[in-house]
Amino acid sequence: MASEDGTCGHPPGHAAAAPPDWNAAPAAGAGCGDPEEDPWFQCCVCLELLYKPVVIGKTCGHMSCFWCVHKAMHFIRESHCAVCRQAYKHFPSICQLLHHLLIKLEPVEYKRREKEVLEDEKRVDTYSPQIIEFLNSKNNNYEIDGENKPEESKRQSPEESSSDGNTVSEHLKKVKLEDVSCALCKELLYRPAVLNCGHVYCMSCLPSLDDGTLKCQVCGSVHPGNFPNVCLDLDHFLEEYFSAEYELRREKVQLMKGETNREGSSSGTSCKDGRGRPSNKENCAGQDNLSDVHIGVGCDSCGVFPIRGKRYKCKDCTELIGFDLCEACYNTKSKLPGRFNQQHTPDHRMELDDSLLVSSVGS
Amino acid sequence: MSGGIARGRLAEERKAWRKNHPHGFVAKPETMADGTVNLMIWHCTIPGKQGTDWEGGCFPLTLHFSEDYPSKPPKCKFPQGFFHPNVYPSGTVCLSILNEDSGWRPAITVKQILVGIQDLLDQPNPADPAQTDGYHLFIQDPTEYKRRVRLQAKQYPPIV
Repeated sequence: MASEDGTCGHPPGHAAAAPPDWNAAPAAGAGCGDPEEDPWFQCCVCLELLYKPVVIGKTCGHMSCFWCVHKAMHFIRESHCAVCRQAYKHFPSICQLLHHLLIKLEPVEYKRREKEVLEDEKRVDTYSPQIIEFLNSKNNNYEIDGENKPEESKRQSPEESSSDGNTVSEHLKKVKLEDVSCALCKELLYRPAVLNCGHVYCMSCLPSLDDGTLKCQVCGSVHPGNFPNVCLDLDHFLEEYFSAEYELRREKVQLMKGETNREGSSSGTSCKDGRGRPSNKENCAGQDNLSDVHIGVGCDSCGVFPIRGKRYKCKDCTELIGFDLCEACYNTKSKLPGRFNQQHTPDHRMELDDSLLVSSVGS
Repeated sequence: MSGGIARGRLAEERKAWRKNHPHGFVAKPETMADGTVNLMIWHCTIPGKQGTDWEGGCFPLTLHFSEDYPSKPPKCKFPQGFFHPNVYPSGTVCLSILNEDSGWRPAITVKQILVGIQDLLDQPNPADPAQTDGYHLFIQDPTEYKRRVRLQAKQYPPIV
């Protein structure tokens, strides 16, 4: 007889007997589902409009809000996707493309969410990244500070549409093709996949980034793990919103595939696995010995959470959440700003810190 | 970082439920004596599936949410002594999707929980029993098991 806290029953026929929307959820992503019933881009954790969306790009491509993901991450062990329970170790960066898409698509609701989240952030004195640069445009800093953002985006859109030489129907669309273009081929995203750094590529473009490791062309970050999955929420949206263009892209990509006689997507992923990426070794590493884990401390560069092994802590960052790096990131680069809006600069002093190490906390 | 999202999520769950929910089910947050709503406890009713021995019963179920919801699943309780192989004597439902360490995913909605429990009623899992009475009869005396299930369904008539 199982104890009340023990492992619970799993009726054998349970999956088959589940209602249709149940089975659809992991596949289609809870965010979209049936568009008539659920709005586009709903966070599956808070059930509200996604705010500062983060895509678990490592494997599954499901997404949630920045805080919904971070608060749910496990302090000591690996974390699990809210939709499909797939394990992941890196806190992904905000997907800026989706962030800007949502500003345009749902300006009023997104603004409301922003205010709501900012109040929460003030309460705990820890902030999500407040300045997010426009994708693919180097000098166009976009301040998401307080009140001026949505007004700005509203003011911009009429200008954009009048200067664009697009068709009338394009004018009516809040989201433009260039808002949802691939960082590599610059065309409309077809079967988009989001890397850990938050940048978005067509699935078919990813092999071009593969140089032993998957390296983002925009920011130079190395994607931890294997090829990401298609972000289905975004894919379904594009297929519906830009149906004609999407169909053209489909034809084009499939033609290219035929020419090069090469599989771009899922089967490509599995071939790559064999090459022994760092993640494969990582996955085999002893999961049970947790003595080298720094409890609840994440790397502000690659996003690994919690950090294992050496942890470098900034002596000069004054923010409550602190600024930390894992050994690999400490040895390569620390130019990135913190993931929680810390004002870290490269001249800050870093030191080894064992204060939250499992082995030292336990003793 | 604490400051959970439990209440916000539950407010959204309530909105979604009001917009659309499966026929015959009831789910609403508890109303306190002073008229305020406690989102952390929901009183629900699960109808027995038609065409099964559970048909005709409307079984009361209480969902207890913690501040860690939806990272952690709610505790789902039938009345004490509820007859079912996978329900503890306390009334707590034993189901993989309600177990944080096996099947729970934060994306699972209240609707999915209730429909999942409705499925469990007629499809108990003998591999993981939670009470002696229901388990032994289910394994050893199917006729008596059936009779008890039908009896219980009559004990919980629909509230008109």
